[in-house]
Parts: sequence; structure tokens; C-alpha cells
Amino acid sequence: MRSYWFGDIGDGGCHPAEGDTGARVQRLQSLRTTMDNYVLLNWEDAVACGICNDRAGYLAALRELCFAAAEQQIREQYAGKDTELLQMVRTLDEMDEAINLLSERVTEWHQVRHPTFSRKYRRTPAHIQVKNIALKGRGALGMVATQVEQLAAARTDLAKEVSARAGRVLPNTSALIGGLVAARLMSAAGGLLPLSRLPGSAIQVLGARTALFAHLRTKSPSPKHGVIFQHRRVHNAPKERRGKVARALAGKLAIAARLDYFRGVAVPEFLDDAQARIDRIGTGDSP
Amino acid sequence: MIYIGDVLVSRGEGGVYSERMLAGARIWDPFRSKLAALYYSGTGVELTPEMRVLYLGAANGTTVSHVADYTDVVYAVEFAPRPMQDLLEVARRRQNLVPIMADASRPELYAPLVEAVDLLYQDVAQPDQAAILIRNCVFLRPGGMAILMLKTRSVDIRKSPEEVFRDTMAELAAAGLTVVESVWLSPYHKDHAAIVCSKSPGN
Repeated sequence: MRSYWFGDIGDGGCHPAEGDTGARVQRLQSLRTTMDNYVLLNWEDAVACGICNDRAGYLAALRELCFAAAEQQIREQYAGKDTELLQMVRTLDEMDEAINLLSERVTEWHQVRHPTFSRKYRRTPAHIQVKNIALKGRGALGMVATQVEQLAAARTDLAKEVSARAGRVLPNTSALIGGLVAARLMSAAGGLLPLSRLPGSAIQVLGARTALFAHLRTKSPSPKHGVIFQHRRVHNAPKERRGKVARALAGKLAIAARLDYFRGVAVPEFLDDAQARIDRIGTGDSP
Repeated sequence: MIYIGDVLVSRGEGGVYSERMLAGARIWDPFRSKLAALYYSGTGVELTPEMRVLYLGAANGTTVSHVADYTDVVYAVEFAPRPMQDLLEVARRRQNLVPIMADASRPELYAPLVEAVDLLYQDVAQPDQAAILIRNCVFLRPGGMAILMLKTRSVDIRKSPEEVFRDTMAELAAAGLTVVESVWLSPYHKDHAAIVCSKSPGN
């Protein structure tokens, strides 16, 4: 028996594929074709099958099926929960850059309008400064400052969403270094699958590309940490122990990423063990 | 092929990738499309209105849309979801374009959709380009033509483009394909070669 998208052809003639387009897509995907002695499809068989009347009808029916199948496959590909998280965390990082740039610029602009204004001896954080400008500034300056404020508000919301989603997509990695940093690690690796394939040593320096290649090319020291520096365990560790902490943490992260990819749920035994080990190294209690 | 003056064009609905128009026809840019570059080099396979084409590595539908302007039907195979979204949009407006989301190296997955074709065109960035072409030759009718756009840098970055080219030619010949012509696509595309083969009418 030979099976094609429109039906099965056997000794007893043709059995057309039944059901609506969705059912036909399912049938198509369940077909197991082998290419040995394969008999090519002949579109006239579809006419004999009663699927269509002519060539134009054949193509129309085939196209309908192909569109439905492709759309379903695209949806499945994107359904992998990490694809949206990837876009979210990259958006977040780009928003940070935009907000910083614009805040700086707005402040500079404000300074030109107010010759007596100076930021010296003022401990005003940048976002408060922008807020003041938004309240006082007239015309375009005030409007831009207001927009920067709103962008910052959206950024805060997005950061919360990223953390929450990272907790679901990367439960083990997030438990070790927090949702935001876990998501950034995944973004730097290019996805959950690529991250789970990286060795600990690569995870340790993810996001320190410039330093890593400078090290490989010249005699500069190797980077101790990349993205994982953002986690307090690494940046709060005493300087002489930071490299050690980063190395241990990265090793555990490599395992965590694999658990996230293959199991997708938090594994308490592993996490307790890993937390204890990293803490030990962080406080210098272990050899 | 249709030329207006010495500009290659195809007749169909424009606006696929903001291509320029000339006297109501779509200009087919050799710097964007490797197939157009092949025609500009003075060779290539003449596309005819009754031709059926299997196109592997359709990407965003840029070149595919031009091929569809010339031919009866084009089966366009693409694997990655992002370009597939664009390809579907192009295919919605071209009734003779059949979009297939599948891996070109696994013909068994889309064999139930594809009929015998007159032309097999392959432009995928994979190291086993020749093997993929050979595996897909089952869809090619006896006497049909195959065009391989060889991305030498995707095949093996350590070998020189000339070396990759020679190896590929040998591989195609060993599989029973007759190489009709082969050209480098410079100056339009660097380190890319087009190899035109024919399948013997015998089997």
C-alpha cells in the first residue's frame, strides 16, 4: 500500500484521507514513508480518489493542507517555553540601555536650560532626576522625560515577568542564581538547549567574550566570571575567593541547566546539595 | 528567461521584498539571488511555464517568488520557523507555490506531498549539501535537471573553496548525475558556485 497526503492507494483502489484539514494534518504527520523503492505521487490518483476534479483543485487542496501543517509546526516550535523568554530578556536588556542613554541625555539637556543647575553634591538617583525634569520641563523636554519614566515603569513590569517565567522555564538554574540572571545566561547561550549542552567552564565565562578572547590572544589573565558575576554570591564574595565561587557555581549551573532541559522541574535533592557546596566555598570553610 | 534590455525580470505581483519594478515586471537582482546570478553568468536552466520545481532551502521566499512567476508549480521546502513565517505570507499570494515545512535532508517526511519534478533546486547552508541533493533526486523525473548552489564556506571552512568544489563534483558524479556546467557566482556572491546537473533519462 502506498500512502500520500490525499489517501492510501492499495490493491483495492484508493482510500481517501478522511476528516477535516486538522485530521489530515495529523494523518500526514503519522505517515511513515521509506524511500526504498518509493513510488512517486501522481496527482491524477487524487482525482481518482475523489479529492479533487482537476489540477487546479489538486493544488488548492494540497496547499490548504501544507499551510495548516506548517502553521501547526511553527506553533509547536515556538511553544518551547524558552523562545519567548529569550525575546523577553533581550528586550529587557535593550530597554535598560535605552533608558540609561535617554536619562543621561535628558539631564544634559536640562542642565543647558538651567545654567545654575549642577548635579554636584546632590545624591539624586537618575530616575528621580528624570522625574523632576518630567514635572518641571516644558515642551518636548518634559514629554521626553515623561516617556523615559513610563519606559522605566514598563521595564520594572517586564523584569518581574522575566523572573516569574524563568522560574517556570528554568526552575533549577533560577533557584541557584535567580530568575533574571538565569534568563540572561540562557540568552547568552542562545536558548535552553544550547545552554544545557555547555560545560561548566563555558557557563562561567558566558557574557565575558571580550575578556575571554583577549586572554586567548594575548597574555592577559582569563576572565573569572561573565554573566554570573551579577549574582550576589559571586560579586559579594571576597575578591580572592570570587574565582573559586564562580567556578563552583558554574559547575552546578551546568548540571542545573541539564535538569531544566531534560526534566523541567525543580530537583530539591540536587539544589540543597549545590547550595550547600557553593555556600561552603563562599565562606571559605572548605579546602 | 525574460530580459528587458539586459535586466533579468519576472512577471508577477510585486512587493515581495520591496524589489524594484521595471515596465510592470519584477527586477530579479543577482546580488540578492544566487539563481539570478547564475542567469547573469549566461548559463542556467531555462524556466518554462509547464515546469514543476522542487526548491530546497526556500528561506524567506525571495528567489522562490521569482521561480514561481516563471513556472507551473514550486514545492518550497524550508525548515526554520522564522523564515517559514515569511514564506507562508509569500505563498498566500502565489497560488502555484506549495510551502512545506520540513528538513530537506529527510525527504521521507515530505515525499507524500511532492510529485515528480522537472527541476530540483537546492540552496541550503549545510555541510552535506551534495548528499542532500542526491537524496532528493528520487523526485526528479528521468532527464530532469538539478541545480546545486554550493556554499563552499558552509561545507568546510578549513578547505579552500576550490577543494570543496572538486570534492562535490566527484560526489555528484559518483551518484550518477551528469554535471552539465558549473560556474563561480563572483562577483555577485563570494565563494559560491552553481553546479547544474542532469539525471540520465535511462533510470
